[in-house]
Amino acid sequence: MTDYTADQVLDCKGLNCPLPVIKTKKAIDAMDSGQILKMVATDPGSKNDITAWTARTGHELLSGGETDEGYVYFIKKK
Amino acid sequence: MLTPYSANELFEWLLAEDDFLLLDVRNEADFGRFKVEGPHEIDTSNIPYFDFMEEEEASVAKVPRTKKVRVVCAKEGSAMYVGEILEANGFEDVGYLKEGIVAWGNMLSPRKVDAGSDGHELWQFTRPGKGSLSWGLISEGELTIFDPSRNLDFYQSFAKAHSCKITQTFETHLQADYISGSRFLAEAVGSKVFANSGDFMGASFDYTPVKDGEILPSSSNGPQIEVIHTPGHTPGSTCYQIGGKYLISGDTVFLVSLGRPDLGGKAVEWAGMLFDTMTLKIKTMPADLKILPGHYIEWSEAKEDFLFTDALGEVISANASIYDIDTVESFTEFIKSNIRKQPDVYAEIRKVNAGWLNPEDDEQSTMDLGKNECAASAYAAQQAS
Repeated sequence: MTDYTADQVLDCKGLNCPLPVIKTKKAIDAMDSGQILKMVATDPGSKNDITAWTARTGHELLSGGETDEGYVYFIKKK
Repeated sequence: MLTPYSANELFEWLLAEDDFLLLDVRNEADFGRFKVEGPHEIDTSNIPYFDFMEEEEASVAKVPRTKKVRVVCAKEGSAMYVGEILEANGFEDVGYLKEGIVAWGNMLSPRKVDAGSDGHELWQFTRPGKGSLSWGLISEGELTIFDPSRNLDFYQSFAKAHSCKITQTFETHLQADYISGSRFLAEAVGSKVFANSGDFMGASFDYTPVKDGEILPSSSNGPQIEVIHTPGHTPGSTCYQIGGKYLISGDTVFLVSLGRPDLGGKAVEWAGMLFDTMTLKIKTMPADLKILPGHYIEWSEAKEDFLFTDALGEVISANASIYDIDTVESFTEFIKSNIRKQPDVYAEIRKVNAGWLNPEDDEQSTMDLGKNECAASAYAAQQAS
């Protein structure tokens, strides 16, 4: 997966749904348009949830995938 | 008050046609792949939990206030989250599924099929989340299980509740669509595993190979179990006849269709074996033999009291378009026209069932989730509908 320079990093490791998405929303809401959030989770359910949530809200999922760190997502605020 | 409910409770409500809204709050992709099914139509709504997070008012407005709401999610956290939102919005009877859809996927529900005059009992264990069936034979305090799934807790509590001991398990074939519980039960309670070496040769665990025509005891004086080799779905597929009255038919004979012989990548060769099995073995068995299959495709196959069993003669008439095929060429054509891709995870599940792969419990749970795709004619039926 492609790495991006993140403006903010959010650690959601060890959390189960709905918390990773709730925390991601909160972080994104506080950011400026165009800024990039890196979110790391361990819940495999986050894959389809983050994909669906970004599609719904219009924030851009730049890349996402499984790494040694966990499931990593780069999200650009719309 | 937000109340938790179990997968077994949910199943009982579905059987009783209880009136409620099943609110599935998973994302659309997960919902589309695997959802709660039952014998009757379910009033289901899919509104992802993040919709409630983004637009609470509009999402809440989509939920009818006229009936109780039973929320389902992946694990349970999001169902509790949505449940709390509904309660805060004045909904009075809201419940969430404990442990989420995984619990539904693993849940087994017992139903008694028959009891013999000698005290033996035959049980059906329905797994509605998979569309699969395992079967139990109790005789003289001993429980024989055919095709157990990996829900060991269920089988162990069932044995305890019926004051019996799990002594042996029989595999009808190397399953590709769910993880077998046989070797785990052997480790947990010391039961003996019987399986056909045509499928299990090279397995990493101990099992007793069964031979065609062999007669094995269920207990010292209980009904006898006759081994009938029925290759086709897999080369080692085996049916077990119980007391001359029942046939544990695995993935060979279903109430609708036969078990597809294309899962091993040798569709033509295995279709030939299945044709021979169908013509020379299955069709020559007594018409009143009761079929106890390894799967169902639709709930409409269930007979009285939600039992998935029927006389062989009835099964053959109901599936005449398959059983009437009289040449191996036409049979192979029928199989070929129904070939469809199998889920990617099937290759991994086979390895787990042969003991070559030992994933963590969580991972096994994920691999094991979802409905089976084992019948030969499901594809055509889906296309037609």
